[in-house]
Amino acid sequence: MVVLAIARQTVREALRRRVMWVFLICGVFLITLGPVFGFLSPKDSTTVLRSLGLAAILLAGLFITIVTCIYLIPVEIERRTIYTVLSKPVQRLEFVLGKFLGGFATVFINIAAMGIVFLLMIKIQEGRFPPEMVKGVVLTFFQMMLLAAMTIFFSTFATPVLNFFMSFGIFIVGNLSTVTESLTTSRVPITRFVGNIIHYLLPNFGNFNIQNAIIHPTIDIQNEGAFIRMNIIYAIIYSAVLLVMAIIIFDRREV
Amino acid sequence: MANIAKLYPKVVQTRRTIGLGLCALFLAGAALLQGQIDPIARQYHVGEASLGRASAEGLNSEFLLLPLLGFREAAAGLLWVRCDEFFHSGDYDAILPLVRLITWLDPHAENVYVTGSWHLSYNFTDANERSDRRYLAPSQALLDEGIVNNPNIPDIKFEKGWQNYDKIKDYNTAETAFLSAIKGPHGDETGVKGSDDYPYASPLKTLHILAHTYEKEGRIPEALMQWKAAMKRSSADLAAKPTDYSLKQLSAAEHHNYDETLQRWHNRYTTTGHDAINPTKYPFVLLPPPTGDQTPRPWDCAFVPKVEVVRPRVFKISGQFNAADGARIDVRITDWDFKDRNTTSIEHNARFEVDQTQTILVDALSERKNHFERELDMSKDPKMYNFSQPYYRVTLGFNPRGTSPHLQDRQGWSGEGLTDINPQHVMLDARPKLLGTKLIEGQGASAGPVWDGKSMPWPDHAQPVRIIRVTYKISKDQVMNLKPISEADQVPNEPIK
Repeated sequence: MVVLAIARQTVREALRRRVMWVFLICGVFLITLGPVFGFLSPKDSTTVLRSLGLAAILLAGLFITIVTCIYLIPVEIERRTIYTVLSKPVQRLEFVLGKFLGGFATVFINIAAMGIVFLLMIKIQEGRFPPEMVKGVVLTFFQMMLLAAMTIFFSTFATPVLNFFMSFGIFIVGNLSTVTESLTTSRVPITRFVGNIIHYLLPNFGNFNIQNAIIHPTIDIQNEGAFIRMNIIYAIIYSAVLLVMAIIIFDRREV
Repeated sequence: MANIAKLYPKVVQTRRTIGLGLCALFLAGAALLQGQIDPIARQYHVGEASLGRASAEGLNSEFLLLPLLGFREAAAGLLWVRCDEFFHSGDYDAILPLVRLITWLDPHAENVYVTGSWHLSYNFTDANERSDRRYLAPSQALLDEGIVNNPNIPDIKFEKGWQNYDKIKDYNTAETAFLSAIKGPHGDETGVKGSDDYPYASPLKTLHILAHTYEKEGRIPEALMQWKAAMKRSSADLAAKPTDYSLKQLSAAEHHNYDETLQRWHNRYTTTGHDAINPTKYPFVLLPPPTGDQTPRPWDCAFVPKVEVVRPRVFKISGQFNAADGARIDVRITDWDFKDRNTTSIEHNARFEVDQTQTILVDALSERKNHFERELDMSKDPKMYNFSQPYYRVTLGFNPRGTSPHLQDRQGWSGEGLTDINPQHVMLDARPKLLGTKLIEGQGASAGPVWDGKSMPWPDHAQPVRIIRVTYKISKDQVMNLKPISEADQVPNEPIK
């Protein structure tokens, strides 16, 4: 209950932040730009609408997640409101979990809003509801969940600015999973070692990239269902790791 | 550790120990899961080039952010929008590197393979709008790459077939590409669910053009079978949509083409079943002249070519060719040792660069009243025709396989009714993959039965194509008009391998 109360309060605060609304509006605007490319051939304009829409959801979701989550704990410390909270029968563990759930719910609301607009735009342009696009939006959501957990983890010991660059940097490195995977088979031992560390121990955000198959439906992917399920489990497991580490660090932090 | 025990309550220490244990356990689980995810994830990235390479080849930073975030397709889409602008503004040179980048970023953008290849094959031309044949090799390589990356998509295979049919006149390669498109990814003519032509693997037009291709190969029973296959599919489609006017029209066209092909066979190769095109008792391909010797025999085209250089790098090709109006005399001017369709793989040729030292011109001159003549000005395009070699091959010829039906009526699908008074001008192209159906006795086919007009399939391919060809070997001095070209420069035709 305590966790949920903190989460509710976090969502309320996050939704009051104007910068988040700016990113949301930008994302929706980019999605609605899709039909502008109607001058291309029908197949090309479909590809552009789908790929740009998914990219807009990811880009806006990325900034919303980072901007929302980097401030969740530091702001409480800076304003000293954390003393009021922790002086009550609230454990630090519950505080961190509540903050994460609040940030996570905020991201969910935003991605869901952009996802609905995106699906409506496709319905308008293509005349049908595309169920395969839902897979893309769902995986983006879990990708952002992992990012939110990572940002919360960094926020327990780093300043917001440092947190922004670390989160963004790891997100980009994690997106290059095809590159990091190729490093794991390098002939140079040190490269192979570093490749294995990056590929298997850093959060692998590239896993969630299934745009190619859903933008081009003729691509035949074997075991797609298992792939999506495994990615969702991966996001949950890795988020759990980051949250446990965040709790351990926050438990020992002077506030 | 002792100090820590003093500073933090026991619950925190316990939580830390359990937490670290859980972290290690979960991390190991995540790593194991990653190992399971990787093999499936590879399917999503087939054919993608590394971003480092794309960046090195000119991917601007404005487009690099999206691929870095995992959105290669969005970057590719925006680059394609830019390509569209270049198409409209006529800035064709700017399109090639973009096509290369897009197909690297999104190897499933089938339209980019098709449009890019068409652009390479058709749009780079000289001052007289003759296309630069050196681009055919990279164009075909681009299509091959697209086919490997998109085995389920018929459009790229169709484009490969069409370019070989229409531009390159390599009907055998065209046949292979069309057949591959029709058979589809499962080999049973069914397509992928969700594709445009589902449940079929490819559109009906592929069946039609394959029938025409078989006809160009002189394989008439297979052409007829292909028309039958198209009619069967149209009938099924019409049964499902009986009021679809376009389907009705297609079906009627298929029936017409089937009947017409069969009628042409009757007129050209048999003594019966003729219509007004051939009202005689003779097979049209052996029709004797109206007067004189009435022995049935092939038609003498009496080919007399003349090659001149009227100004440096400007050829004048003229001559006599005894045929109905509309025959096209093929002209080919190349380096003496030009290697046709020889190119480095586009994997190593990122900008579709061609060998600028090679010279090749291909054109076709129209014959009217037994005469043909045209000036071929190669002086205005030194980049395309740089004449850097000491010797050149000028080939003039006629191939009945690619000619119009009204000429084939007299000469046959494989040139059975064609000859030349000068036997050195007549060649048999007997490459196994180009052999047509034996439709008449005594015209160069190997032993075996003549097609009976009914049996299908008829797998016996025994008829080589009879072509007319004259080859000149000329020097650079002659190209520069420092020395005239004469009949003495004619050399024996090299056997076709």
